[in-house]
Amino acid sequence: MPSLLLRIFVSFWLIILVTIVAAGGIGMLYAERNRVALENFDMGDAVLEASAALRSDGREGLTEWLRGLPQPAGALVYIVDEKGTDLLDRRLPILVKEFMQRRGRRQGQAPRGRRDTRHYRPARPFSQLVDADGSLYTVVTLPPRYLRASWLFDRGKGTVIALALLASAAMSYLLAQTISRPIRRFRETANAIADGDLGTRVAKRIGDRRDEIGLLAQDFDRMTDGLQRAWLQQTELTRNVSHELRSPLARLRVASELARRRAGDLVELDRIDEETQRLDQLIGQILEFSKLDADRQEASATVDIADVLATVVDDVRFEYAAAADQIALHIDDSHRYAINGYAEALRSCFENVVRNAVQHGGDTGSINITLRIVDSAAVVCVQDTGGGVPEAELTQIFEPFYRSASGQRANRHSGGLGLAIAARVVRLHGGTIAARNGDDGLCVDIHLPVSEQSGSTAS
Amino acid sequence: MSNPHILIIDDDEALGAMLEEFLAPDQLDVSICLSAEAGLDHLRQQNVDLIILDLMLPGMNGLDALKQIRQTDDTPIIMLTARGEDVDRILGLEFGADDYLAKPFNPRELLARIRAILRRSQTAATTDQRLSVAALTLDARSRSVNAGTTNVHLTGTEFELLFCLARSPGSVVSKEQLSQQVLGRQHMPYDRSIDTHISNVRRKLGKAGVTNPSLQSQRGVGYVLLVTGEH
Repeated sequence: MPSLLLRIFVSFWLIILVTIVAAGGIGMLYAERNRVALENFDMGDAVLEASAALRSDGREGLTEWLRGLPQPAGALVYIVDEKGTDLLDRRLPILVKEFMQRRGRRQGQAPRGRRDTRHYRPARPFSQLVDADGSLYTVVTLPPRYLRASWLFDRGKGTVIALALLASAAMSYLLAQTISRPIRRFRETANAIADGDLGTRVAKRIGDRRDEIGLLAQDFDRMTDGLQRAWLQQTELTRNVSHELRSPLARLRVASELARRRAGDLVELDRIDEETQRLDQLIGQILEFSKLDADRQEASATVDIADVLATVVDDVRFEYAAAADQIALHIDDSHRYAINGYAEALRSCFENVVRNAVQHGGDTGSINITLRIVDSAAVVCVQDTGGGVPEAELTQIFEPFYRSASGQRANRHSGGLGLAIAARVVRLHGGTIAARNGDDGLCVDIHLPVSEQSGSTAS
Repeated sequence: MSNPHILIIDDDEALGAMLEEFLAPDQLDVSICLSAEAGLDHLRQQNVDLIILDLMLPGMNGLDALKQIRQTDDTPIIMLTARGEDVDRILGLEFGADDYLAKPFNPRELLARIRAILRRSQTAATTDQRLSVAALTLDARSRSVNAGTTNVHLTGTEFELLFCLARSPGSVVSKEQLSQQVLGRQHMPYDRSIDTHISNVRRKLGKAGVTNPSLQSQRGVGYVLLVTGEH
């Protein structure tokens, strides 16, 4: 049973029904009260009384009498003096005003005409009272239907109205809440999942409802289950691939070492070791590249990229001992380089860019690496002297397994994923990476936004 | 003196056999267990001088095995990890592994590390020294670290590292020196063991509320145990 549909349908229907019944009921009650009150009110007697009051106490007496009339009938009686104001200073209803004006033009005659017959045809249109000093008072009685507006402002009714407003508002609010609260929970859950917390489920958080929203929550959770399973499988597969591909490599490496013992140092064995290492590196890169997309389980932290860069440069100098003197690192020490991110990913990013420069930098070339702050972004610039790449390929070199058409930078070292990994890491940190041709080689610029607290504080 | 006894726990039978052959000329006796459970059994029955533990094992995984071994046993452990599985490496070193190698590795490198660790475990017992640096007291014989009255629990390697830095507080010790003195081997490019151990020590000191002395890194140079208030 689609109970949310039912709930909304019934709620709306109930609210409307209750409103109609309540409005009708109150109206009828009130009309009945008025009817009884008006039936007991004789206008003829009233005019006689008014006349008596005027006679004994003049204008004040008449005013007192008018004020003392029983309600609601009193609200229908207006006594207007010659200036056209009511004795109780009430605003004259338009009908009374029009009537008085017309009467002023056609003295003594009852109003006539279509307009008048339609709007106002009182049985006792008016009586006129004359004071001892000769001033004229006109008593006008409106038909009972003119009580409509005034009952709303009676004292005591305000409470009823306030209660009605409150009750209907509360009911509407509850109805709105049953829809909007779970939607809020859905949003929180979806955001948590987007942030990498695949363990979040929504059905429990909205209280195991059975209606459409509850069903939607179950479907949503089923979807998250699927995502989580796929993610786990992917991670598992990654680990398995790593294991399955590396085990034979590990055996190969030991086997070649045993062969070396038996046959002595052979160039071919060196070659085998070299290729084993290259294959291992490539497997590592592929895994790393695929992991960068999915793997954000690790929390980001404050990383000092100056430290990371210095460590990477140390490692590369160590690895390429022959080129160590050609690698220059300049860090502008008047700034701090704290960024919010993933230290391992950033290390791999810098390592790939620097290694790329060393591998393609030409045999005698030097590598110049700088780190500085430009417009509140940390800028790493890695410049080599390897002759650069054709302008058309400057963006392509960040694509996986890019091979230069010109062969100028043909990947002797099959580092075909290095710059792609770097680009992905930079994007993960909200930065940009670009290559340009410098004076005699390629220059890779990495811009990374730094955290607020760094900037230009001298360290 | 009998040959050192090496236990290899790795499900790759062929690799184990080849390693046995490779290590034999160096007077190292090798036993091979194909699962963590078998390895734990072997440890209960025989005296082992060094364990080579693959972290990717079927059944009980290497990290769990490592934890279990460390509950009762101080035998040095070299773990074999896959390159890129940094979490394994960090956890492994934290659980008390002495060193790690990424598969595939150069067997000569493995031999060098085995030698380094065996040499270290033979000389470690002879040092007898107590050091005090600010709030820390290090006792080389019991290998314990105290901050006031609280004991900071460090693994063997972490202790050696802190001890090495504590001998010359305020002066920077390079990663090469630390690697030589603590791990008994050369520092290698892309080798994160010293950094990982340092960050473990730093975290444990922080948890124990030790702010003085503080372990700081000197970019591109090494690490220093800094006593604040004296400079």
